[in-house]
Order: sequence, then structure tokens, then C-alpha cells
Amino acid sequence: MHETGGEHLVSESPERVEAEFVLGNEVGLHARPAALLVKTAARFTARITVTRGDRAADARSLFSLLALGATRGSAVMVRAEGPDAREALAAIAALFENNFSE
Amino acid sequence: MVGLVLVSHSKQLAEGLLDMVRQVAGPEAAIAVAGGTDDGRLGTSAALILTAIDSVDTGDGVLVLVDLGSAVMTTDLVIDEMPLERRPRVRISGAPLVEGAIAAAVHASIGASLDEVAAAADTARLADKVL
Repeated sequence: MHETGGEHLVSESPERVEAEFVLGNEVGLHARPAALLVKTAARFTARITVTRGDRAADARSLFSLLALGATRGSAVMVRAEGPDAREALAAIAALFENNFSE
Repeated sequence: MVGLVLVSHSKQLAEGLLDMVRQVAGPEAAIAVAGGTDDGRLGTSAALILTAIDSVDTGDGVLVLVDLGSAVMTTDLVIDEMPLERRPRVRISGAPLVEGAIAAAVHASIGASLDEVAAAADTARLADKVL
């Protein structure tokens, strides 16, 4: 178990990592933050999914991310699977920690 | 990089949409607008559309996003006038203009192919605004 800041790495192996984040930015996962997430996810080969409750989104799909309806204060789980899963999750964690540069 | 062209009957709509796309998707994508007629009225212009396509065509392809009806017809005419070998890399998207432009710009800006950018715009067709 590894813990930094607000997120908890709840499982780890070289291929599959996941962490929970709470949206601290003003607007939640709206268009611009979601676009940043898509652009970040696309830099990696890992398959990245974002879930909120029973809704799941592909991190490379802007509209599936927007359909999560994740507002400020929402908790989302980000899971990365693939050879560069760890790097992908770290890059996404940085987005949440910086509140999507708002 | 795949280029994008935003075609609208209204110059203000096309330019306003470009501002919005830049704000959401970032500054990287090559995007041109063709709004209104040559003399600034509501309508579409083959000359403006061709100029816009030329300005963002680096050889990787151009996706043209349109607002309504004759925007498709005018763009079709422009593509029909192109040399045969150029036509396959200039494509019209059937996606809704605002959402399609934003999704396409996000993917174009990360170096996606024309097929990928067109597919990203198409995801906007099923997107429900009201959750």
C-alpha cells in the first residue's frame, strides 16, 4: 500500500494500478479538465478507465468522461492497465493534484 | 497533424466557436474557420471553405465540421473540385458542430490520424447534454 496526498493506491502490479481521487477544482470534470485528461491519457498505451459510482468512462473519450457527471467534491476511481500503467496513473494524478491547472 | 475547418452560415458563430474550442482543447490544433458568405452575409462560401481547408492541410488530412444543410452541400462542391488524389484526405463530419469540434480538436492536438479524429467527433453524436 502506497499513499500520497489525497489519493490511495489500492492495488498495484506492473500492469494494473488504480487510485481514487477527489475533484478539488471549481467546475469538476467539465469540458476543459476532461479534455486535459483525454490528452494526457492518449500519451500512454495503457487502457485507462475512470469510474464514478456505477458509471465508467474511457479516459480517451471526452463525452464518456463528461457523462460521469463528476462535480466538485466527487470521488472518482482511475484504473490504468498496460505496460506503462504506472506512468499513466502518475501523470493523471498530477492533473488532479494541480486541480487541472485551474 | 490533422487540420480542422469549422463551417457555419454565420461568421460570428464560426469565430466564437473557435474561441471556445481553443479554450477547451488548447492551442495546439490547426483550426481554420469559414463563416458566412464572401461579403459577410449569412450563408456559406465555397471560396472561404477552400481557403480554410488549404490553410490547415499539411497532408495528414482535414476534417470539416459543418452547422446545417447547405454547409454540407457547399463543402461537397469544394471537395469535388479538388484533384482526385487529394479528395480522400478531406472529409466532412456529420457530428454536431460544437461538441464535434471540441472532441476533434482534442484528438487532432495529440497527433491522432484522420480516422481517429473523425471517430472522436462522431462520439459527439450520442452524447447527452443532460445527465
